[in-house]
Amino acid sequence: MIKVLEKYKKRIDIPLFAIIFFIILLGLITLSGSNLDTSNIIVNQVINIFVGLIIFTILIFTNPRILFSYAPVLFLITIFLLILVHFFGVESNGAKRWLTFGVFNLQPSELMKITLPLIIAWLYQQYQNKITLSLHFIAIFLICIPFYLVLHQPDLGTSIMIAFSGFLIVFLAGISWRLILSSMIVAILCSPLIWINLLTYQKNRIINMLDPFVDPLGAGYHTIQSMIAIGSGGGFGKGWGEGSQTNLNFLPEANTDFIFAVYSEEFGFFGVIIIFALFLLLIFRIFILANNMQSIFSKLLTISLGVSIFSAIFVNIAMVSGLVPIVGLPLPFMSYGGTSMVVSLASIGIIMSLNNHKTLIAN
Amino acid sequence: MDNYRFKYFFKKRIQILFVFLIVLLLIPLLKIFYLQIIQFDRFTALSKNNSIKIIPIPPKRGMILDRNNIILADNKLVYSLEIDRAFFSDLDEIRVRLKNELNIDIDIDIADKKINYLYENTVPINFNLTPKEIASFIAHQYLFPKLIIKQRFIRDYPQGKSSAHLIGFINRINDKDISFLERENLTNRYLGSTHIGKSGTEKFYENLIHGFPGFKEIEVDAKQNVIRTLQEKKPVPGKAINLTIDYRLQKIAEKAFGEKKGALVAINPKNSEVLAYVSQPTFNPALFTNGISHESWANLNDKNSRAMLDRAVAGLYPPGSTLKPFVALAALTNDIRKPPFSISDIGYFKMPGSSKVFRDWKRGGHGTVDIIKAISVSCDTFFYGLGLELGIPKLNKVLDDFNFGKKTEIDIDGEKSGLIANKAWKKKKFNESWYAGETAITAIGQGFTLVTPLQLANATAKLANPSLSIKPHLLLSIDGIKQDKQEVKEKTQIYSDKNLKWIKTGMMNVTKEGGTAAFLGKKSNYQMASKTGTAQLFGLKIDEEYNEDILLDKLKDHALFITYAPANDPNIVIAVIVENGGHGGSVAGPIAKKVLDAYLENKKL
Repeated sequence: MIKVLEKYKKRIDIPLFAIIFFIILLGLITLSGSNLDTSNIIVNQVINIFVGLIIFTILIFTNPRILFSYAPVLFLITIFLLILVHFFGVESNGAKRWLTFGVFNLQPSELMKITLPLIIAWLYQQYQNKITLSLHFIAIFLICIPFYLVLHQPDLGTSIMIAFSGFLIVFLAGISWRLILSSMIVAILCSPLIWINLLTYQKNRIINMLDPFVDPLGAGYHTIQSMIAIGSGGGFGKGWGEGSQTNLNFLPEANTDFIFAVYSEEFGFFGVIIIFALFLLLIFRIFILANNMQSIFSKLLTISLGVSIFSAIFVNIAMVSGLVPIVGLPLPFMSYGGTSMVVSLASIGIIMSLNNHKTLIAN
Repeated sequence: MDNYRFKYFFKKRIQILFVFLIVLLLIPLLKIFYLQIIQFDRFTALSKNNSIKIIPIPPKRGMILDRNNIILADNKLVYSLEIDRAFFSDLDEIRVRLKNELNIDIDIDIADKKINYLYENTVPINFNLTPKEIASFIAHQYLFPKLIIKQRFIRDYPQGKSSAHLIGFINRINDKDISFLERENLTNRYLGSTHIGKSGTEKFYENLIHGFPGFKEIEVDAKQNVIRTLQEKKPVPGKAINLTIDYRLQKIAEKAFGEKKGALVAINPKNSEVLAYVSQPTFNPALFTNGISHESWANLNDKNSRAMLDRAVAGLYPPGSTLKPFVALAALTNDIRKPPFSISDIGYFKMPGSSKVFRDWKRGGHGTVDIIKAISVSCDTFFYGLGLELGIPKLNKVLDDFNFGKKTEIDIDGEKSGLIANKAWKKKKFNESWYAGETAITAIGQGFTLVTPLQLANATAKLANPSLSIKPHLLLSIDGIKQDKQEVKEKTQIYSDKNLKWIKTGMMNVTKEGGTAAFLGKKSNYQMASKTGTAQLFGLKIDEEYNEDILLDKLKDHALFITYAPANDPNIVIAVIVENGGHGGSVAGPIAKKVLDAYLENKKL
């Protein structure tokens, strides 16, 4: 038994694991403070964490070479699932995002957050000696497929996140600055086209972002309530379980997408600094690990997974604090919900697995 | 690209990336700093606004009681069906569904009315749910999420239709009331209130009986469910008022009227307390509290019965012969027609210098008539001549002293001033000059003169007690505390005792042998001083026979009667008018007599 633990200890990166542990703990504390349908939420979330840790454990004992060789297959399967969502997905709030297999719900766009970085990293590893402009374009093409599919679910937030993590690898793989700048200009020029293709509710969210108080009971309602929750928290918060915005139901989705607002209301700016510090340490540790890895595949995949987590954190916090439109995105490790927790822990598992086998994929 | 080169620029690029991510993370941190530290006060206020609501608690309306604490208006607890004001526009749909599914009606008018912003969050749509309706609604409440049942106090009138004009009624606060309240800066007192006094005492003493609202500070959730009460300030209930009215007399008078239309006012001549205040026909004031139906409203406003008219203060009648004692007093005061002056009445009066003839009501006349007999037999011939000699200005001076032609300023809503006509008035009104004949008929209470029953009672009280200097009033006490009597300006007695005594003698003789109401005196244990009156509603042409039987009821004369008793130490004054009743002595007299008997002999109800 001790031997197994010893082995386990060797395979995980203690600092990274500790950081994750504290973030998850803060999430659980925040959830248990809310008095909305209490007990079940904590039990369910603990189960979610447990399932995530099993996947995490499996992954740290898995040789990343397997991951590497199955990368194209995993990517194709995810694309297939995304297409299935288009036809058989469960519709809720006018969007099809979920596949239901009996009791088990799957959100393929979440899976894509892993499989897309996987395939791009695979691509650059496979053709490491021929990294040319055309390889970059192939990579960009591979990014566009899931981006388009997720955008049409419609799920603007996730599609942007997926594209972002993909482009990040292209950037790290050494695409020239000139190309980056010119494509940015193209993107800006194309933005009116994107605007036209957005759905009405997505447009409203963006308009309301500019001034949520224009329509306080309509589209701006969620943003305002969230900002009120955060703002009324002040320096040291209203105290654990004392958030009136949360407990009186003014805050929508308090346990899932808006858990950061609950946290800020109850623990104030002091609590916000602590959580920001943890997030920063998390990304810093992942970057250190990536830098010490040997293969292109490991490096690119680690950074990409790390930045994926970071982006989710950033977009979620920007959303609840009223900086970007409400896009319906959970906060990694803290929001209530299985998929987000499992995917986040799996990402960490993959990173640690890559870290354990630094030289295995090295040429 | 070899591995070494890749590692080199990879490191450079993740450094750039890391700095970029730190900068990126600073943006939401700054925003949160702005929200939590700089804008803290604003968002704290917004957070409290979100969850803390102040709800007004309407005060309980003060009771209205008679002088012996008989309840005239009270409050009862009802269960009212109310709609969330945010969904007020869905009322039509809800009305149909309530009717079809639960057979519950809602107020007819409420949908037409704008919602009163003074209401709390819910608008009552039916104030009086029956226990059966309550049970059926609660069982199906899930079908009507926009509706709730609340407890409220609503006005109750235990005497039903009796004394409705005296008590008045209350009705829902409407747009007009709101503009009035805004003008008077009273809106704060009506927060949460649904009703306001609209007539009678309910309106006049609205300020006293309305009270002051309380407030409840409550915490609500996003669905406006009440979580808990944070603070509560109790409302101050309206004051209970006792009226000077003796309800026993009201009831007796109403019973005596039966189906007849008219009014009766009884006053205590010692202090001007109004003892009875009756206007017939009457209405049920409770009809208005829940919003009256169009049909009931049409019935109440029927042109023949005019049940809503408060005849006691707003009914204008020619005084007929009841004006004669005052005309006689005017003559005596101006030193004409003093006893032993008498005329020989042959049944008509011929205008001097004209062929025009005015008839007495009695064919053949009354023989030798002095001023005392002129009153007791109500001799028209005597007064025609008297009027012509006296002239309108001198007559009007006395009528004005007795408060005819102007408001008595009694404490009830809707009083009219009546009319004392003169030359200038006629010129203005009809652009015609004044004829001598009009002076003659004014002296017998016909012509243009119009009085209210209250004015008649008030003037009679001054005859009964010439030093009376208090305005007629209805308020006896507030919350059991007696109120000071309001004094009128002229305090001194301006008529000589000698003149007054002649008038009194004439009035006492009305119920004695030969008087116009002799039959009333026969059955009486006390001495009254009275005057009968029969007011013609249309001008009889000279020589035309008056035939009561063929006239439509509507065109029949009004019967009038004024009296005070006991004659030598009067405790009560009564004026009665019976519309289209015919002869005053025989129709109006007995009604007054019943009230006198009840008051002076303390007869039971």
